Amino acid sequence: MIRGVRARLTTTIVALVVLTAAVLGIGSYLFVDSRLHGQAVEDASAQARFDLSILAPSRLSASPTKEEVEQLASDFTVRGLQTIIDAGPDRPFTSPGSLAGVLPTLPAGLRDSVDAGQIAYAWVPIQGTPSLVVGGRSGGSGPAIYFVRDESPLQATLDQLRLALGAGAVVLAILALIAARFLARGVLAPVEAAARAAERIERGDLSARVPVTSDDEFGTWADRFNRMAAALDDTIGRLEAAQDQNRRFVADVSHELRTPVSALVAEASILRDHLDALPQAARRAGELVVDDIARLRSLVEELMELSRFDAESEEVQGEPVDLNRLIRDVVAARYRDAVVELPDDRVVIETDPRRLQRILANLLGNAREHAPGALVVVRLRANADWVTITVADRGPGVPPDRLGRIFDRFFMADPSRRGGSGLGLAIAREHAELLGGRLRARNRDGGGLAIELVLPVTGSLHGGDTAETHEDEPEDR
Amino acid sequence: MDARILLVEDDPSIREVTAIGLGAAGFAVTTASDGVEGLERFRADPFDLVLLDVMLPRLDGYEVCRQIRRTSTIPVLMLTARADTMDVVVGLEAGADDYVRKPFEVPELIARVRAALRRAGRLPDETDRLALGPLGIDVAGRSVTRDGVDVPLTRTEFDLLLELVRHHGQVLTRDVLLDRVWGYDYLGDSRLVDVAIQRLRAKIETDPAEPELVLTVRGAGYKAVR
Repeated sequence: MIRGVRARLTTTIVALVVLTAAVLGIGSYLFVDSRLHGQAVEDASAQARFDLSILAPSRLSASPTKEEVEQLASDFTVRGLQTIIDAGPDRPFTSPGSLAGVLPTLPAGLRDSVDAGQIAYAWVPIQGTPSLVVGGRSGGSGPAIYFVRDESPLQATLDQLRLALGAGAVVLAILALIAARFLARGVLAPVEAAARAAERIERGDLSARVPVTSDDEFGTWADRFNRMAAALDDTIGRLEAAQDQNRRFVADVSHELRTPVSALVAEASILRDHLDALPQAARRAGELVVDDIARLRSLVEELMELSRFDAESEEVQGEPVDLNRLIRDVVAARYRDAVVELPDDRVVIETDPRRLQRILANLLGNAREHAPGALVVVRLRANADWVTITVADRGPGVPPDRLGRIFDRFFMADPSRRGGSGLGLAIAREHAELLGGRLRARNRDGGGLAIELVLPVTGSLHGGDTAETHEDEPEDR
Repeated sequence: MDARILLVEDDPSIREVTAIGLGAAGFAVTTASDGVEGLERFRADPFDLVLLDVMLPRLDGYEVCRQIRRTSTIPVLMLTARADTMDVVVGLEAGADDYVRKPFEVPELIARVRAALRRAGRLPDETDRLALGPLGIDVAGRSVTRDGVDVPLTRTEFDLLLELVRHHGQVLTRDVLLDRVWGYDYLGDSRLVDVAIQRLRAKIETDPAEPELVLTVRGAGYKAVR
């Protein structure tokens, strides 16, 4: 866009300069042209008037003889004038002789005016030479005399002038182009600076500012831009502070809840062992207390886990992890009925096994909660760059418009369902991001939800060396 | 079973319910509500095991543990609200044998207590001396020397070293070590093993960053090499 504006600005400046140069050049040319021609006509007319009114009548009789005409012509020739003397029908006399035959080619208007007794002129090319022809009748009624003046020097002068003006215009246009480019760059420099600043802001660097270098409109505008950026920075800073406060509050609350929850968990564990000893009327309530304390415990623990993510104090401890083995272990511990589909080859990637276990456990917990009793499949696929672990159920799925939100905190696809905290998938997503991977959810053909964990195969090891040590491992417990 | 347990915990509800649970399991429980009182009780009467909350008024659990360790090798289990690696490290450095993460269920705590007591009461089943490189290990005397110089190890560190040396050349997974050294027959926190191994290396290796006696086998576990 800026390049477009620069081009337009350059073009406009050059066009203005060229237009101005053209008007001035053409104007001055026309002025010089008319002045030179006018001067030539004036000189020629004065000379013709004198010769026709004084000289010619004194030399020519009423019906001039050939001798008189020749004498007059030779006088003119001595003074450097070329003449055509029309002394009667079919008797034009020319000096020099090369002008013979020119008379009939003179413009009719000129000849008519001359015949009518006026002094008249015309610009006529004669034998290829630009010439000024001035004519009149000797003494006003005598023979018509035409003076032919070679005006090629005048024409040559004008030609040179045209050439000079044209060359000047070209030089001017080139200079204007160069100057305009510099000018445009200078004018647009603040715009480019602003574009760079806006780009930095777009990337999240709200400290970007535009240098205010002038008092003109650009300066004012840069100042406005900077104030906008400062206001944005301020607003976002306040939002972040508010969010931090909110998160600290959640962290503090869950931390404070921890001690009473610890007491409740210990108490419930004893109560659970003695539910049978409770009177019938209190037994169900006792069972519910035990269950609800378990729920409360996991809610508080999940909140604390999320608070640790928010505090960004989490570290990833990577090591080579045998995914086949890890998946089998987690499924055995968390969802024995799930069907596990693993590739024949051992898949080993560098990752944090505890986080991966947590993600898988939460995905399985989600499947257990939302698709109770339905078939759950855990599938591992791997290529050179990515491994994909899919946990797919045959439950009710999630409406497509809510699919994008299932990894949000406290989101419940079915709020009427009792049980989960709505934090399990949010926690899974946080762990997945720490591992450099991501979670995706989609509805399956034929019903049910599939959640895919995609992890990068960075620093992957070939199964070989670790495979051997696993085989040699003593299992005699 | 008539083992005597000292329970130091500041929260009255947790203290009471834990004492009830342990009492019902056949232990004789004495309670204290802060670190100073805990140390007084410990010095006043003989005990077989100490359960120690980390966050205690007046004197924190780590400090209480350090003071106990000056005079006793009694098993000490820390009760910790957080299970960050830092807490585990500090606890083990203070001389604790194990930690139990809060919240805990009473049966789980009892299982851990029994495992620790079993371990402490285990009689040495061999009287000979073992060696690993420059290390000399007196199994009956539970002492270790390096080039003839005494290396003071905690009970856990000694048991860990003994287990690795007895199976030298073999890789022992973290789970196996948790099972055999800490006596857990369920999936425990294997960071405990990692931290204990680091502590052990700091005492027995010439350069703990480049271990020569107890090696890490990536993705598998640990092994001792002669």
